[in-house]
Amino acid sequence: MKHQLKKQPRFSKTGMTLLLVASVLVLPLASLNAAAAGVKFPRLSNGKPDFSGIWQTTSAADYDLEPHSNRKDTPPGPGIVEGNVIPYLPKALEQKKKNFEARETDDPRTKGWTLGVPRGIYYPEPFQIFQRANDLNIVHQFGHSVRTVYTNGSEHPEDPWDWWLGDSRGHWDGDTLIVDVRHFNDKTWFDRAGNYHSDALHVIERWKYLDPNTIEYKATIEDPNVFSRPWEVSVILNRHREKNFQLIEDYRFTLDYDDAYPPKPDKQ
Amino acid sequence: MKYRMSHRQLAALSLILGAIAIAPIVGTAAEATKAQSAKTGQEQQPAPTQPRANPGIEQEKTVPQIASGKWAGKRLPDGQPDVQGHWSNTIANHNNFTDPQGGIPGDPAPRRRPLPPRDERAPSRVSDPADGQVPFQPWALEKVKEFQANFHNPVKPQYVEPLARCAPGGIPKSLYWHGYEIAQYPGYVVFFFNSGTRIIHLDGKPHLPDNIKLWNGDSRGHWEGNTLIVDVSNQNGKALFGRTGEFISENGHIQEKYIFSPDATRYNYEAVLTDPTVYTRPFTVTIPARKWTEKDAANGWHFEVEHAKHSGKNVLLDHYERTCAENNGGFGLGAVEAKK
Repeated sequence: MKHQLKKQPRFSKTGMTLLLVASVLVLPLASLNAAAAGVKFPRLSNGKPDFSGIWQTTSAADYDLEPHSNRKDTPPGPGIVEGNVIPYLPKALEQKKKNFEARETDDPRTKGWTLGVPRGIYYPEPFQIFQRANDLNIVHQFGHSVRTVYTNGSEHPEDPWDWWLGDSRGHWDGDTLIVDVRHFNDKTWFDRAGNYHSDALHVIERWKYLDPNTIEYKATIEDPNVFSRPWEVSVILNRHREKNFQLIEDYRFTLDYDDAYPPKPDKQ
Repeated sequence: MKYRMSHRQLAALSLILGAIAIAPIVGTAAEATKAQSAKTGQEQQPAPTQPRANPGIEQEKTVPQIASGKWAGKRLPDGQPDVQGHWSNTIANHNNFTDPQGGIPGDPAPRRRPLPPRDERAPSRVSDPADGQVPFQPWALEKVKEFQANFHNPVKPQYVEPLARCAPGGIPKSLYWHGYEIAQYPGYVVFFFNSGTRIIHLDGKPHLPDNIKLWNGDSRGHWEGNTLIVDVSNQNGKALFGRTGEFISENGHIQEKYIFSPDATRYNYEAVLTDPTVYTRPFTVTIPARKWTEKDAANGWHFEVEHAKHSGKNVLLDHYERTCAENNGGFGLGAVEAKK
């Protein structure tokens, strides 16, 4: 995981020398597990990792989860799927191909609909985690949609509704937050390339600090109606540290009609 | 597979509904039925430990006095007064801004109960000026009258109350549209509404640049004793204050006080709204609110929680995903979904 190490100092001769020295000293550490290396990161008063902050991936995962060459509407990308290929059932693969062809109009993102899980996490807009001992509230800039992850020992409700963001119940495995997400509707996609799921979607997330400003996010995705076996994605989330950075409301589903408001003086 | 209405579907549907001029009528019916089912739900629930006679949406008719002053109650580790929990206004929904319990003006739907005389209904949310009316400039008052005259048959998009399209409720309407949760974090007070989220920043950072306009504005707050003081800029002015069409523009400015009672079971909201392009003078909006806890029964409007499934004996509350679920399609949309 060398790529997480790099801070980019201004290069001067001395700077370069220092950097080289620093690299020699620090690089070996990078390959170690964060906890084993004694990496410090924020914790709540109960000792659990505190993921509070504004996060965003630099990955281009949202364009297409699978490896792909460039396209007119898409930069090339290595994908974020473990093993590269999403294991669709044959019939579901046909649907995915249809989705792909119609992506310009059918991607729920284009309508401003809630992005779902895990798409909201690797979508290229920031989200903010507000964390307490008993819950995390994840506020996505896109749509300002809110997902509550309960960490109070409660379980999924019985006979619940279908939700855009599912029902999230978290627990801790050491310093890793494991979130079980169920009870989804079938209206969200995983990316702009038409990768999709049914309402039988089940997501297991693992959130882990690599350093105080970096989270490793992994998600196992299963859906027996669409995939032949569970599969996994992984992205790195970076903390926004720009001065005065904040979420800016992005209720974009109102853009089609909000010109009608507020009333304005009649033109003379 | 169970569906609850989502605001995205509603947004799409309401464009159609708006075009055929049905949205507000459906909304009214849905609202009335929702209130009724909320009441029925209450009767089926186990008796709450603090019983209240027939609460419904209109819990109270008066505004209690709560003085600004020192805070002697519980504090959070970061020093903020602890006011976390589920809250809701005590007076009414957004049917009518200045006569909150007076119903929607010109409502063609027959009332289920006769309207009591004005002095037996809650006062206007406008507490200053004393006449309880928004001090609109003449052009703006004409626009409000035009909205009210067309609300029940909205032949143009601007006559549809935007919340009916699941737009964020904005300020102040979000505070009288269902219950909501207040959560506090170091540096933040966050309001989770059914119709949007308000993040109030306590760290004193400057407001966003002027040209960024938002449904809920941009909020900077600080605590003074028992009072949360919030400065709101960057309004987009689009949310309207209710089904009576009052509004502020993108030039508006709002200064809010949330004054909490010593036992943190109530607060009064007092906001001064200023907008030299819409009003003749600043005016004050007052909205009383109370807290709801696990000792209360859920009631489908003010307090929309579920008891979480868990192995312990104590009550843990779940609040399910907040979606715009009823306002102009609670019934019609089911059919739309089924067709698929």
